[in-house]
Amino acid sequence: MRPARMSKIRAVILDEKVDAVVRQLHKSGLVELYDLTTKLEDAEWKTIVKSSSSAEYGRNVASHMIKVNKTLDLFSNVADQEKVTLGTMLNPVLPTKKNVTFESAEEALNYVENIVNSVESEVSEPAARLSELESKETALENLKENVSYLTDFDYDIKDLGMGEYTYVTAGILNKAVFSEFEADLDQLTEGCISIAAGKTFIDEDGKTEKLPVVIAMLKDYAEVAGAELRKHGFDRFDINAEGTPSNVLNNTVSELNSVKGEIKSTVDKLKALGKKWNDELLVTYEILENEKDRAESYSSMGMTERTYLIEAWAPKFDVNKAKEIIESASEGYAVVEIDEPDVDESEIPVKLNNSKFFKPFEMLTEMYSMPKYNEIDPTVLLLPTFILFYGIMLTDAFYGVLLTIAGLILQHRIGKVSEGAYNLGYILKLSGIVTIVAGILTGSYLGDFALQFLGFDIFQTALALVNPLGGSVYISEASPLFEFFGVSINNGPIAILLFSIILGIAHLFVGMFLGFKDTLKNVGFLDAFLNQGMWMLLILAIIFTSLTGNGMVTVGVLIPVMLLSMYKGFKNGGVLDAMLGALDITGFLGNVLSYARLLALCLSTGGLAMAVNIMAGLLDKSVPVVGVILAVLMLIGGHAFNFSMNGLGSFIHSLRLHYVEFFGQFYEGGGKKFIPFKAKKEYTE
Amino acid sequence: MVFENPLLLGAIGAGLAVGIAGLGSGIGAGITGASGAGVLAEDPKQFSKVIVFQALPQTQGLYGFLVAILILFVFKTAPEWAMLAAGASVGLAGLSAIGQGIAAAAGLGAVSEDASIFGRAMVFSVLPETQAIYGLLVSILLLVQVFTGPGAETIAAIGAGLGVGFAGLSGIGQGITAAGAIGATARDTSVMGRGLVLAVMSETFAIFGLLIAILIMLGIMF
Repeated sequence: MRPARMSKIRAVILDEKVDAVVRQLHKSGLVELYDLTTKLEDAEWKTIVKSSSSAEYGRNVASHMIKVNKTLDLFSNVADQEKVTLGTMLNPVLPTKKNVTFESAEEALNYVENIVNSVESEVSEPAARLSELESKETALENLKENVSYLTDFDYDIKDLGMGEYTYVTAGILNKAVFSEFEADLDQLTEGCISIAAGKTFIDEDGKTEKLPVVIAMLKDYAEVAGAELRKHGFDRFDINAEGTPSNVLNNTVSELNSVKGEIKSTVDKLKALGKKWNDELLVTYEILENEKDRAESYSSMGMTERTYLIEAWAPKFDVNKAKEIIESASEGYAVVEIDEPDVDESEIPVKLNNSKFFKPFEMLTEMYSMPKYNEIDPTVLLLPTFILFYGIMLTDAFYGVLLTIAGLILQHRIGKVSEGAYNLGYILKLSGIVTIVAGILTGSYLGDFALQFLGFDIFQTALALVNPLGGSVYISEASPLFEFFGVSINNGPIAILLFSIILGIAHLFVGMFLGFKDTLKNVGFLDAFLNQGMWMLLILAIIFTSLTGNGMVTVGVLIPVMLLSMYKGFKNGGVLDAMLGALDITGFLGNVLSYARLLALCLSTGGLAMAVNIMAGLLDKSVPVVGVILAVLMLIGGHAFNFSMNGLGSFIHSLRLHYVEFFGQFYEGGGKKFIPFKAKKEYTE
Repeated sequence: MVFENPLLLGAIGAGLAVGIAGLGSGIGAGITGASGAGVLAEDPKQFSKVIVFQALPQTQGLYGFLVAILILFVFKTAPEWAMLAAGASVGLAGLSAIGQGIAAAAGLGAVSEDASIFGRAMVFSVLPETQAIYGLLVSILLLVQVFTGPGAETIAAIGAGLGVGFAGLSGIGQGITAAGAIGATARDTSVMGRGLVLAVMSETFAIFGLLIAILIMLGIMF
């Protein structure tokens, strides 16, 4: 129930052998390297050992990574978009792993260099050609657009620009300002200007009318006129071509087509290269990532003239394996020591260590917080109640089946490529199974579907134990379960409410017991009693009262508990805190009543399912002809909605009961997660 | 009875249930939606996350709708004051959706920056729903006549409904704290536990409301 016990490995290794040791440790993934930088700043250590820095070859690795990444980017840009369908999502293709092993960083880099060079020799030429063609395409598109406005004019485009005597320019103008523009320029150039307008067209915005305009003027006015042109919002074309506009347009279009054709063939060539090299490059990239990790690991070591000092954490059960790895990789040129943790508890990394059955639920524990090294790992306790609460809150056999199927798909299909999906799938699968059971017990199959459409009232039969919204054969006004504090347990809701509260009290009691044990061990009896013990006594008193009907016992415990809460508050912070302490009892009450949500959410799933059924029934009865179809759509949509809403709600509310009410009794968290020094193995083996 | 047709009270109850709860949900979902629109402007791929968070404050409206339908179902059999009280209870408590909307908006903002915080943000965003659940609980307890004390059948039932309903507004405060706690947790995940403790404080008052409502329904007056 506690995180894995850790040991510290300390090794001094001959410098020639350290690369091999790092590689083997990285491959095994058994240890977390301990960063010695701070420790080595200590004056005493400084005289013997100094901090090491990242390995030299790391820089080489980084530059290769940039290159490979660039090529991978190029490939993904030209590749056809793969369609993400439900089918591909449910059947993710696992990358085929390539088996590569290298004895040294040098060997790995040689391998990488070979690949990078051969890829580059094939890819660099078409890649350069592609970018050249693409910029040419942009220029031609531009030219085409500009010239297309000028096709009404019959003159040689080469004449645009500054001539010996004249200045000719073309562009676009708002139609609204044209006459004003014409008059202004005419005045400015004293009539030495000729302005020709083409056909009106509507701008891209769909509103403004615009005109293509060609202007010829005496060269001397070019400069003053230029300012005038800008003032009127004249959008000047920048065209460099020869021939009449229509000729230029034709030429541009045909040139554009040939460029486009060439782009396509270049892209095809790159696509083919991508198919050929992409997987290889992914492998290469992973090799580089792993090499980078190794190179960087040197920065956490210490070094002397001929040796390296490594410290690392390993779980106790792995530590001897790790020792052997170091000794064999260094061929004996190493001294390895195994020690108990020698640092503050908060610095020891925490590795959760649960059996396969509980492992996926570690996700929920981690989401709250890693336990501290010497704290209880609550994962094992979380599993049974999490799925139980989930089932009670969702309570529908049909929804349970859906959830189990969804869980199986998540776990076994998508879970192949994502650990998170695997864990979530596992959790949902177990929760789904409990939901089915809860649904059968409460006679809920798509709510009251059977009653609404088949006229079969399951609660009139002996098939359902409890009716969440009323009576059943077993629990009804005619046959109440029993009397409880003057309230007759004679219908479903109150039976489930009572069950929820009892479950809650039991759940809290377990949490308190764990907290009590921990405080007793770490602090002492008085604190353990004030924090948890007296509340446990109160719970026991309540249980005693409910069994015997003797209310005096509860009152007899309740009063000292309140006084003790006040005393505890007083001890912590004086009179004001003492008054607040008296309110602790409401906190306790709140924790217990919070479990009433089990009933409320159970009712809301069943009730909303019933509402969907009623509406579908109304559609069926009141709409002629297509009513049946509408009713079926209503049923599918409504139940899908209810299922997903309440499925999500049950998940989070079940989590909440654990995080707030249960963990609050004993669990603090805040541990540092064990992050092993481990090679990535997605594409390599 | 005060009214010629006692069923009037049931009709008002159904209206209050779906009306006020719908108001709360509308505002809450609106607050989250505004934050969601901002997130989408930066990254349209976050759409599914926006939808999930925006769904949270909508449950209150659903609870109100559920109780309204239930009221129409038990129209002829339930005590009329219980029907009115049930509507007030789930309706007013449904205003906690405003707080939930605030928390969900903060949660969404945090998740759009760092996807790994999704679960934590979700837990915080769901806290202010407790109030609505208590409102729903009291409504249903009244309607299915679980408690048969005089408080559950006479005008006293209104006290129960208002008690849990107004105390349910504490959900707004809880939502504000939860939003702050999400921000803190996004910066440092180890503060989640303490953030939960702070956020749960507001719930104390909802629990007072629930407790008094149950006492009224049992007919226990000291």
